[in-house]
Amino acid sequence: MAGGLAGAGRIGYGEPAVRARKHRPDYVLLVLILLLLTIGVVVVYAIGPALSLANNVSADFFSGRQLIDVGLSLVAFGITSRISINDWRQWYKPLLVVAALATLAALIMPANPNYPAHRWIRLGSFSFQSVELLKFAGLVWLAGFLSDRLKSGLITDTRSTLKPLVIAMAIIGVVIAGVQSDFGSTVVMMAMMAAMAFIAGMPFKRLVMVGGILLIGGILLISAVPYRRERLMTFLHPTADCQSSGYQACQALISVGSGGAIGLGLGRSVQAYGYLPEAANDSIFAIYAEKFGFIGVAILLALFLALFTRLKRIALHAPDNFSRLFVVGVLAWLSVQSVINIGAMLGLLPLKGITLPLISYGGTSVVFVMVALGIVFQISHYTSYVNETDGRRGGYENRANWRRNQRRSRDAKPGSRA
Amino acid sequence: MNFDGQQLKTTATRISVLYGALVLIVATFGIRAFYVQVIRYDYYHQRALSDQLKQASIPAQRGTIEAYDGNNIVPIVLNQKLYTIYADPTLIKNASQVAQALADILGGSKASYQTKLTAPNTRYVVLARKVAADTKSMLLAKQYPGVGGVEQDYRTYPQGALASQLLGFVDNSGQGEYGIEQALNPELAGTPGELKAITDINGVPLTASGNNVDTQPKAGANVVLSIDVGIQKQVEQILASDYKKTHSQGLSAVVMDPNTGQVKAMANYPSYNPADYQDVSNPALFENAAVDNAIEPGSIMKTLTTSAALDTGAITPGESFYDPAHWMVDKFNITDIEQDGGAREQNIQSILALSLNTGAVWELMQMSQPGATQSSQINQKGISTWHDYMTNHFRLGQETGIEQGYESTGYVPSADMNNPAVSLNYANTAFGQGVQVTATQMAAALSSIINGGTYYQPTLVSETIDPNTGKATVNQPKILDKNVVSPKTGQELIPLMQGVVQQYLHEGFSFMNFPSDYLVGGKTGTAQVVQSGGGYSAAVYNGTYLGFVGGDKPQYVICIFNIKPHLPSYEYAGSYGGQPVFAHIAHMLINDSSVTPKS
Repeated sequence: MAGGLAGAGRIGYGEPAVRARKHRPDYVLLVLILLLLTIGVVVVYAIGPALSLANNVSADFFSGRQLIDVGLSLVAFGITSRISINDWRQWYKPLLVVAALATLAALIMPANPNYPAHRWIRLGSFSFQSVELLKFAGLVWLAGFLSDRLKSGLITDTRSTLKPLVIAMAIIGVVIAGVQSDFGSTVVMMAMMAAMAFIAGMPFKRLVMVGGILLIGGILLISAVPYRRERLMTFLHPTADCQSSGYQACQALISVGSGGAIGLGLGRSVQAYGYLPEAANDSIFAIYAEKFGFIGVAILLALFLALFTRLKRIALHAPDNFSRLFVVGVLAWLSVQSVINIGAMLGLLPLKGITLPLISYGGTSVVFVMVALGIVFQISHYTSYVNETDGRRGGYENRANWRRNQRRSRDAKPGSRA
Repeated sequence: MNFDGQQLKTTATRISVLYGALVLIVATFGIRAFYVQVIRYDYYHQRALSDQLKQASIPAQRGTIEAYDGNNIVPIVLNQKLYTIYADPTLIKNASQVAQALADILGGSKASYQTKLTAPNTRYVVLARKVAADTKSMLLAKQYPGVGGVEQDYRTYPQGALASQLLGFVDNSGQGEYGIEQALNPELAGTPGELKAITDINGVPLTASGNNVDTQPKAGANVVLSIDVGIQKQVEQILASDYKKTHSQGLSAVVMDPNTGQVKAMANYPSYNPADYQDVSNPALFENAAVDNAIEPGSIMKTLTTSAALDTGAITPGESFYDPAHWMVDKFNITDIEQDGGAREQNIQSILALSLNTGAVWELMQMSQPGATQSSQINQKGISTWHDYMTNHFRLGQETGIEQGYESTGYVPSADMNNPAVSLNYANTAFGQGVQVTATQMAAALSSIINGGTYYQPTLVSETIDPNTGKATVNQPKILDKNVVSPKTGQELIPLMQGVVQQYLHEGFSFMNFPSDYLVGGKTGTAQVVQSGGGYSAAVYNGTYLGFVGGDKPQYVICIFNIKPHLPSYEYAGSYGGQPVFAHIAHMLINDSSVTPKS
């Protein structure tokens, strides 16, 4: 137990000799998630009449499905938040197999003429975006893989660590970016993997090297496909051609700008009435900005930043490497996806056709994001706050825990086992 | 432990570095949002409005056109609400599918719809016009993005092609073209309402937007024409029939009430059907020749020359004079066309009855100098007097102001004595050459003489009806001149013109036989036609006729223009091309009791 004394509270490597005791989870995280989900549901509900006209469905069609999806995602969250983190480590293989099969199925399924890319598995009115499962499976696999390498001290080894990582990235690049033309998801997955590898302690030089190769590959991919070249040109001059290639970018910026400081009001979005494409999905941030103005945008950005901060905090204090890397992966996933989405809506980044996590209409995305966040929530039961390497932060956390301890004796007490 | 600690520190640092970068990015987004939404708000607000705010005018219901048929008002032109189906090709998602649906519902070929639906560089193509409401609803129920229908009023014609050239038509933009539709377009069209609204991308106003401005349209007035439907119908039949009989190239008739200036019938042949105006390949068919075709009228002008000479006192009705059968004026020899009795004593009656050009020139000589016996005595006084009568009394050379889209002014030569050959020109005008007039101008001028000197502005409108209140406003006769000639002159001209009818009857023109309890007078005209390259044609003439029919007093003035009739004897175009048409119309008016016989 003496070893445990050292390992339990610290940011340790390898398996902790003694697991931190289960304590109250991070309810702030839960509150932030629910707030963001609520915003998404409210916005989709408010533009329901506009969407119904454009898509020939009833006014509550989209908000109805959004509610079902959010309900499903909450159930998923409830389940994964109760599954022991160690179980996930064992399931990465079947998860990868299922994700690979799903990707394959999407590729051979006939595509919807309106969305010609082979990204969806469709069964009747149900549709499933395979890349979302792949993101999650890849996350579980990589967290396990990297924590194993750390345990065996081989994290800096090129052959056993870097090589599989580069191969995985290459497969993703070929299948997701190359075949499915889903450049946005590719960027998210690459960023997620790179962030996890970086945090795991992979030498900086090698990451830069891999990054350089990826950059060259990315440039090749962009210049190989005409519509991506066009998107890049559109990105460089977003308002140069508002009539065709720059249409969505222009309309997004018009939506954001015409919202002004305080917004047009919840039910008063005009851009949703056919002007801004994908108003409920990829472009929902612009519609939100039109409705709630700069004040609303500031609040939403603050909510996202708060969520990221919460994830960072859990990562810093995760009980073991697998958990930490998993949380870092989730943080990278959500933050990169949000940044790409919002950046595009603000005219700072090219349009990538990906959703805004937790807000956008689109069942698959929200369900898998919530599956991952459920696991993070589970992890947050076991965070440990010990005054170790960083006295300042530790002191703060100690004070916070001290206060909590006054109320809730079953909460983990820092150093209580000493 | 040391190694672990090192790694631990690296990890914490790296997490913080990535997190720091994330905070910076989010902060950048915040600043960017502030720039776009607060600093650049006006710009984006305007950009949004330029897309979203649409101004549209709500078309006003166009006034109908009606006319009296006896004592009943019958509709001539009504409205029908039909739809124009259009598409915005940039919004069409599945052109093939939409084209198939269009072909199924509207008829027509799928291929041509598909071509329209995929037209590049346009956001508006018309797919079909004049689509009925239920057909439109069936199509729009499919809710294809980018396909819409706009309501449009179309004119329908319960009387068919009746009076088409005086009615005109309404084009696809709602603008009246030709005839009454053009002349009274402001009254008929009403005032369109205005709609200014935030709309969806298809232009449908959003109820949620509070920015809508809405002015209701004001319907146009209904117009009741002065024409009598029964008379108009029969005049048109007569024209169609006589057009063939006289192998004419164009036949016009005006039937006017000389005591009000109201036109009772006005027609031309050939004509067109206003419901199919798009199919008319020759735009000349749209023109109402009775109003906008000015020709040299020939001898019917002698009724005006004689009236002027009588009115000035230069001649008296019973006067006789020596007719040398030709006059030399400015080295040109003036002779007679229709009648040539040789040099002998003639009188005023014979000037009209025998249609003596020399007699008409003699009248001009008398206006120049009373008792003149030489054509060289034509002087400034005579020319100025005759010019004054033509332009100021009989209002030739100017528009009458009748409610028609296009009206010809005609042409009266200048009376300036410095002009070369002014005497010859004016000698010619005395018998209707070298001056151009319309049938309507001649009918109005004769009306003003025989009604005792009042020039009523010719009109086609009897009353206008406010479509909201139903209140009718009678179009009072508009008097332009009360002293065209003295009442005495009018009374003197009437028997002179009756004498012309008697003369022709005497000569065997049996169709000029009218019941004795009716007052019928007239004058033929055989007008020489200027040929291309100058000079008059020796082979082609226009036949004209100007006359009246009534009981105690003239009730209808009738003017006939027969353009280039193909007759056995060209030089009798007036007698054989104009006169029979007048006779047919006069008999028709008498037979259907439109004329009140002598008491």
